Amino acid sequence: MFDFNHSNLDENGNPGAEIVSRIHDRFGNFPVHVQKPDLIRLNVPQTDIIPLLSWLRTETPFVQLTHLTAIDWLEEDEFELVYLITAPSLCISLMVCIRVNREKAEAESVFNLWLQAETYEQELHEMFGIHFPGSPRQGVPFILEGWQDMPPMRRDFDTVEYCNRTHPERPGREHHDSRIYVGRKFGEKGYLK
Amino acid sequence: MRKFDPDRPWDLTTLPTTMAPKGSKPHAPTDDRCFLGAGDVPAAPKLQEAVATIKNWFRASSLNVLAFGTGCGAIELRPLSTSRFDMSRFGISGAPSPRQANVFIISGYLSTKTLKRVIRSYEQMPNPKWVVALGSCTINGGMYWDSYNTIKVLDLYMPVDVYITGCMPRPEALIAGFDYLMQDIKKGEANGWHHYLENLEWYRDNQKKVITDWDLPNYSW
Amino acid sequence: MSVFDYNTQPGFDLISETPNAGTTVDPKEVQLWFGPQHPGITGNMSVQLWMEGDSIKRGITHVGYLHRGFEKLMERRKFIQSFPIVCRMCVAEPDTTEYLLASSLEELSGLDKEVPEKAQWLRTLIMEMSRLQVTLMVLGGQVGTMGMGTAPNWTYTLRDFLLDSFEELTGGRVYHMYIAYGGVRRDLTKGFAQRLEATLDLIEERLPYLDDLILNSAVFQARTKGVSVVPTEWADEIGITGPTLRAMGVASDVRRDYPYLKYPELDFDICTAEGSDIYARTKVRRDEISQSIHIIRQILQMMPHEGAYCAKLPNMLTWTIPAGMTYTRAESSRGEMGFVMVTDGSDKIRRVHLRGPSYTNAVTILERMLPGMNIADLSATMVSLQTCPPEIER
Repeated sequence: MFDFNHSNLDENGNPGAEIVSRIHDRFGNFPVHVQKPDLIRLNVPQTDIIPLLSWLRTETPFVQLTHLTAIDWLEEDEFELVYLITAPSLCISLMVCIRVNREKAEAESVFNLWLQAETYEQELHEMFGIHFPGSPRQGVPFILEGWQDMPPMRRDFDTVEYCNRTHPERPGREHHDSRIYVGRKFGEKGYLK
Repeated sequence: MRKFDPDRPWDLTTLPTTMAPKGSKPHAPTDDRCFLGAGDVPAAPKLQEAVATIKNWFRASSLNVLAFGTGCGAIELRPLSTSRFDMSRFGISGAPSPRQANVFIISGYLSTKTLKRVIRSYEQMPNPKWVVALGSCTINGGMYWDSYNTIKVLDLYMPVDVYITGCMPRPEALIAGFDYLMQDIKKGEANGWHHYLENLEWYRDNQKKVITDWDLPNYSW
Repeated sequence: MSVFDYNTQPGFDLISETPNAGTTVDPKEVQLWFGPQHPGITGNMSVQLWMEGDSIKRGITHVGYLHRGFEKLMERRKFIQSFPIVCRMCVAEPDTTEYLLASSLEELSGLDKEVPEKAQWLRTLIMEMSRLQVTLMVLGGQVGTMGMGTAPNWTYTLRDFLLDSFEELTGGRVYHMYIAYGGVRRDLTKGFAQRLEATLDLIEERLPYLDDLILNSAVFQARTKGVSVVPTEWADEIGITGPTLRAMGVASDVRRDYPYLKYPELDFDICTAEGSDIYARTKVRRDEISQSIHIIRQILQMMPHEGAYCAKLPNMLTWTIPAGMTYTRAESSRGEMGFVMVTDGSDKIRRVHLRGPSYTNAVTILERMLPGMNIADLSATMVSLQTCPPEIER
């Protein structure tokens, strides 16, 4: 759904352009999107992610894992994992994105490269149900306690339905939709179309 | 509990709350044996009343707030104790341990994980004890009405003596809430703790509905 | 994990003097929960400790007591409805998250080019004021954890005068919801600059007294110098930012490295210190107070007095943003804060995830620093790392 180009990447002396060309030489032509001068997004096949990240960590200035998160693309039946790798000396970040299957959600752990990946992976396992084999603390409760439903950050988890089922409301409160409330109070015409 | 006053509809402490049915079996002694020196009460009714009044006055004048910041409202408790708002002039001070505290401020939303610790801390506090609930999220969920992890109505799980509205309530609102609480204590109407002991089974049932991995004892002494 | 049963805990046998046969539990080991109900804990979190005497053998951080599922709630709300939610992500410092939400969605929708000059100055002003009030609070809290009651009373009262300025500007003491799409919600009130200037003068006047109480105090130095040193090689492995990194002597600051708002036009130093211990982190905070005051004074002088404070906005009830993904960052008082923001062309956020400095500070760094630490230093260490639980679990 994204439009990939790197025409707006300045080729002359931009360290971002240099790292993109080095990645292309080494790993093949991944789609690249330059979001802003200090943020470059790469879409990478799942098999290439560990070699790419190890190479970035050991042989380039991209040494910090700033963030690791997941996006649930329910319509495409896929999870997108986003590794945000930063080069503190260049002040440039790479968003390395991979897609994993939603049914068999599993990705390789990057705990060996960055220590704090264990917490990010622990949270993703709890909130999305993505399994990272080899990562410590997989399945150890992190934020939730005694959770028995599906992982709550998945798109198909309905928080309102869960909430109505488990947390009763105070008697007297009817609904929360301001549109209905205002419509009832001021007449349907007074609000929105 | 205060009666609802139609002339003061803004007074949220008078809102009808969800109360437990009468007649549940108490698990803990609910009589005066809970208090230190309770055996010395004289028998004459008038004198007994006078002693109770004096006792309530003492209780209202020394409120010890448990140091448990359960939500965002905790950030206004520290300014409340510094020289600008100075809660010490009302006889309110902090207590580090539940064993030394008699006021529990529920400062905002409660996630189910915190609710378990709150119940345990609340039961460890010696009687008589009072609960002050801060913020709209304790009253009806507030802005977290559709969150899967926070409870909506606090008084289903523990008795609340004073609700303070706002998100978040100012320190002045907190002082006003404490003022209500003191008046109620002096009148002998702040009996939420008594209600909790009388209806422990009903509260326990409600608590077990949201806390799925229940491993607390029957009553944390 | 849960409230524990005393009978099955290691160390309980010590009391009855009959160690369980066949167990490998060290009889000298005692398990201790630090928090969530504890006056020394920073917010509502807890650390499970295994102790031997008064030194910690190992420990685990437990968070999640403040989880409200903000990211899930924001996926259900329209863009404008997300503002009351993001500011509650970090209670002490709401303006950074507000700015991150506004700027990331402005970037994805193309609105960022229309933000007026004056709005950018006002945003810089409120974010710097916010950094100043949190730094004051933490500086007082730092010595408060060591049993000193005077300095916290002073700093909290000074912070309270700043909160008055916030209230005048935004209407709220703690949660401001001041930054909006395309600019800010309100203009400066008449005479605001003079009143803020008076508050800044007052803070600056009290700073030497605070120095004598905190940094020059022999007790404070004895308690903090060489205590809880964060090794410099963790910087890359764990991704440390903010005062924790600057206390290692690394001049790293998002305001300088990834310039945003009006910070490139302002003159300020990046405060660093050597030693990477609690004293160094406190010293960085102390210097940042002076820098923040300096920055706010410049903003008040350089800010244009004329002009619009908010761009012309589309109808917020039907506003849709084209599909995209971005990462926006800003410097909070604890370090780099960022939003991974994903939109899918609808009128709601597809996915948002907050990157907070406390996430690494409170879990990864703290757990690795615990072995060997004295329990009396734990609370001071947590404040010096500025662990903010609502930001960890959101």
